[in-house]
Amino acid sequence: MHELSLAQSLIEQILALAMEHEAGRVNRVVVTLGPFSGVVRDSFEFGFNILKKDHEKVGDAVLELETPDPEYVCLDCKKVAVIPFPKQSERLELARCGLAAKKCPWCGSNRLSPKGGTELILNQLEME
Amino acid sequence: MCDTCGCQLHEHHQHDHKVVEVNRSLLEANRKQADSNRHHIEHMGAVAINLISSPGSGKTTLLERTIEALRDTVKIGVIEGDIETERDADRIRAKGVPAVQLTTGGACHLDAPMVHGGLHVLEHFAKGGKYDLIFIENVGNLVCPATFDLGEHQRVVLLSTPEGSDKPAKYPATFKSANLVLLTKTDLLPHFDFSVEEATRESLVLNPELQVMALSATSGEGFDAWIGYLKNLLATASHR
Repeated sequence: MHELSLAQSLIEQILALAMEHEAGRVNRVVVTLGPFSGVVRDSFEFGFNILKKDHEKVGDAVLELETPDPEYVCLDCKKVAVIPFPKQSERLELARCGLAAKKCPWCGSNRLSPKGGTELILNQLEME
Repeated sequence: MCDTCGCQLHEHHQHDHKVVEVNRSLLEANRKQADSNRHHIEHMGAVAINLISSPGSGKTTLLERTIEALRDTVKIGVIEGDIETERDADRIRAKGVPAVQLTTGGACHLDAPMVHGGLHVLEHFAKGGKYDLIFIENVGNLVCPATFDLGEHQRVVLLSTPEGSDKPAKYPATFKSANLVLLTKTDLLPHFDFSVEEATRESLVLNPELQVMALSATSGEGFDAWIGYLKNLLATASHR
């Protein structure tokens, strides 16, 4: 539920930047949500699209969210692996085959420690 | 010249789009306030601990027992975060320790600006005196508080026996961000299917540097290790 506070601070940041660049309107906002940032993408988008209506300058801004795939370090073989989160539709299938647990693709260990991925970054603004 | 179409005419400039690379964290404002809080807390002479857990894991009871164990030798202040009521602050005050209640009025976590306000009230209570240890008891929630640095020196996450030992794996962001995980209510272990080994192992997969301790504030089992951890923290804090 903290997505709403984060969307609010994003809008404040955008308004400050628009003023700094003497822009009248913000058209596009590009944000990176790290896979381990603890932010739910849909809730964040939902919050942003409601809150933006309070401000003329960002009222029509389109939010583009980039969500990089999660990276893990294997605590046994120390190698790094990128393992995308399974899609909702794939989860049931994986669970049915008993393959729900992530495994290191190099050595098969299940001791995979999340690597980085906690970032929440405002990357780019398109203004006019 | 116009960036969009390359024209030289001023009349064309209504489509003067501008792309700015920003590359700044959404949490920048919170981080700045958190850094300032840390500085403030150090100026007060204290070490601060952010306590995070689900509602009902025993944060306030842990604080009550900790105050009883340390109040003669350590000057403690407490900031309580809750959605509503002064109940937790009242419990702490009953132990003779200054407590500030922050009620978020619905928000699911504390953030650095709220804690900033709380620090000023604690300072006022001390009437110019210093603190050794400040506890910030976050709103009971195992998800949202993890994202917000409050200016603490150590983050302690509690996991109680009835919640189940699968919680580190299910709430990785929170457990990964901790310095210490406290497995609480161990006096209930005979009644629940909780594996201390599983909770410890899965916490350490998320963050191999993490410390994990098990205790019961009711029976006192394991409590000495927690008090030892706090005393060591106070003895080794570089700013004190």
